[in-house]
Amino acid sequence: MKKKILAMALSAVMACSLAACGSGGSTETAGAKDSKETQAAAEGNELTVWAWDKAFNIYAMEEAEKIYAKDHADFKLNIVEVSWNDLQTQLSTILSSGDYSQLPDILLMQDFAYQKYIITYEDLFTDLTNSGIDFSQFSGGKVKASVVDNKNYGIPFDSGTEIAAYRTDILEQAGYTVDDLTDIDWDRFIEIGEDVLAKTGYSLFSSQAGSSDIIMQMVQSAGGSIWNEDGTPNFIGNETLEAAMKTYEKLFTTGVMATGNSWDEYIATFTSGKTLGAINGCWIMASIESADDQAGLWKITNMPSLPGVAGATNYSNQGGSSWGITTNCKNTELAVDFFNKTFAGSTELYDTILPSSGALSSWIPAGESSVYAEPQEFYGGEAVFEKITEFASKTPGFNTGVYYTEANDALAVAVTNVCSGSDIETELKTAEETVTFNMGQ
Amino acid sequence: MYAASFQNNSKGLNFPMEHTKNKRMSLQQKQRLTGWIFLLPGVLLILTLSFYPALRALMTSFKTGVGVKMTWCGIDNYLRIFQDKVFLQSIKNCFFYLIIQVPVMLILGLILASLLNNPKLRFKGLYRTAIFLPCATSLVAYAIIFRSLFATDGFINSMLMNLGILENGYNFLSHSFSAKIVIIIALIWRWTGYNMVFYLAGLQNIEYSIYEAAKIDGANLIDIFFKITVPLLKPTILLTVIMSTNGTLQLFDESVNLTNGGPANASITMSHYIFNKAFQGVPNFGYTSAMSFVILIMVAVLALLQMKVGDKRD
Repeated sequence: MKKKILAMALSAVMACSLAACGSGGSTETAGAKDSKETQAAAEGNELTVWAWDKAFNIYAMEEAEKIYAKDHADFKLNIVEVSWNDLQTQLSTILSSGDYSQLPDILLMQDFAYQKYIITYEDLFTDLTNSGIDFSQFSGGKVKASVVDNKNYGIPFDSGTEIAAYRTDILEQAGYTVDDLTDIDWDRFIEIGEDVLAKTGYSLFSSQAGSSDIIMQMVQSAGGSIWNEDGTPNFIGNETLEAAMKTYEKLFTTGVMATGNSWDEYIATFTSGKTLGAINGCWIMASIESADDQAGLWKITNMPSLPGVAGATNYSNQGGSSWGITTNCKNTELAVDFFNKTFAGSTELYDTILPSSGALSSWIPAGESSVYAEPQEFYGGEAVFEKITEFASKTPGFNTGVYYTEANDALAVAVTNVCSGSDIETELKTAEETVTFNMGQ
Repeated sequence: MYAASFQNNSKGLNFPMEHTKNKRMSLQQKQRLTGWIFLLPGVLLILTLSFYPALRALMTSFKTGVGVKMTWCGIDNYLRIFQDKVFLQSIKNCFFYLIIQVPVMLILGLILASLLNNPKLRFKGLYRTAIFLPCATSLVAYAIIFRSLFATDGFINSMLMNLGILENGYNFLSHSFSAKIVIIIALIWRWTGYNMVFYLAGLQNIEYSIYEAAKIDGANLIDIFFKITVPLLKPTILLTVIMSTNGTLQLFDESVNLTNGGPANASITMSHYIFNKAFQGVPNFGYTSAMSFVILIMVAVLALLQMKVGDKRD
């Protein structure tokens, strides 16, 4: 009897799963048929896009599609969510196999990797220099990321202008305001930080262990570079870099800067109360705002500057991305026209996506929009986007170079060793050797 | 068993072949053909999906260049490996894991298996399942859970602090030695049960009367373990040693997800480094293929050594 019941139960489960398979299969084929039909109807008016953030760049693409579809009824975008890590792996695989037909029409690319892909795979991106897109309407430093040999290969999207965000309520407990942390250098920052730490137990900000992003941000803020003119690494005797490493070491040893071992630990440091601030690209605002209960307590200002370095500013940049049109694009003219009417020509688009996703535009005409001047409740009713746009205009340019990832890794190793007691000069020498080795064949 | 029956077939085949000179196939020929037809899909899949790519990778390892612009360079890539400090570091890390983790895990598995093999023990099935269960978890998921367990404000630290052993949370993953130990603990947790199952299966083949006889002769538990269990389990132990060595040298998920190779490459494994070089930075597939073949050579040499040392058939 028992066995019979068991057998019946099992066969029921099997039947269910088979049915599920069957229905899944049939919807799939139906879906395929659908898209084929629309494709046939639209005769190549559908473009495939790869992007990675549903709340951010995919959302922006969807809004752009809506705007363009108003005048072009049969226009359709097929947006595929591909995480940045997967995107890199997939690109490498497709490009090495030589079968470019698997590439999407449009893809989003991190700015720091743009040079690498243009130079490594010459025929990945379409040259857009004479395509009709007006690149002079984008902020100069941003366009540079996707330019090689004076040729434009990308349409700038979001920028990662550096911001410093602090919890005003905790600062108050220690007797400080955000004004005390504005337009200062790192030495003063550490003084205040030690005081705040002693009084409240909070660190001022945090960084992710094993990453040298904050070092790069410091170097950029002082207008420095990690590369020589000829593209070789410039670590040994680079005063800006040495100053940044020294500052990092001090921040770490004094406890003014906390560290998280992974990205989620890093986010948790300021959302769940270990640090009272965050210093990063302005896209970090989305993570700050994820803590609803802290609404109205945050304020935004500029980052500290490197002490004792000529040309040091309080402005920098971290991250940001641009759209590229691949050489596999079925209808390049359509893609270019789409961008011309949206990301490179529609204030309406930027007005929609800015307040809801914080996608700060690098398209200059969008900056004149009234949306930028609107007060943001989360940041104590301040017009933060106007402020960040102002920061962006003061940010020094920075050459990420082709071997940015290698340099970042090597410097991360160097700074980790410095923090556990090693000497800055020796570590920079090792880091430069590592990068030079990686650049060799 | 398969191979043996094939040999028998081919031996018996000569005789009827000479006899029946007509065009029709003999029964045994037919059977042999059926066997090959059954084998064919598998063989074809292995050839095209495993051997062919491996061959191409071998060819790539003699080329160099960025992305698709590759040129032949002879054995330069293999010479380059010896100057790559990070790769040498990753080899050291892998051997550190190998030397500490594999013996601890296998001895633990062996002890657990002989304990659970006791016929008088109750709820054996429950214990066996509980110990085997970790290796049914996803590699990524368990690595991430271990990462959060050993975080500065994670479970392990709060436990140690509540017990009064630590005053402040210790950042396990930011110190090179403790980061490696965390990986080893994670590996032991996940794979001990897996190896234990092999030993349990091996123990089933040992006649219980041998143990009874030993007991009557006055052997204690330790004598029984070292003089009966271990020698009789030798083939199984050899198998698990080779599998564990192979697995440890190709370690990837734990290094990526648990420590991300850090701090300062102190826990990075060879496969993780190869992945970074191929997909994170500027790709040089020639060099990364060469590194992969170095791993292959290491695994092959180690397996050969272990077989030579361990497999002394009388």
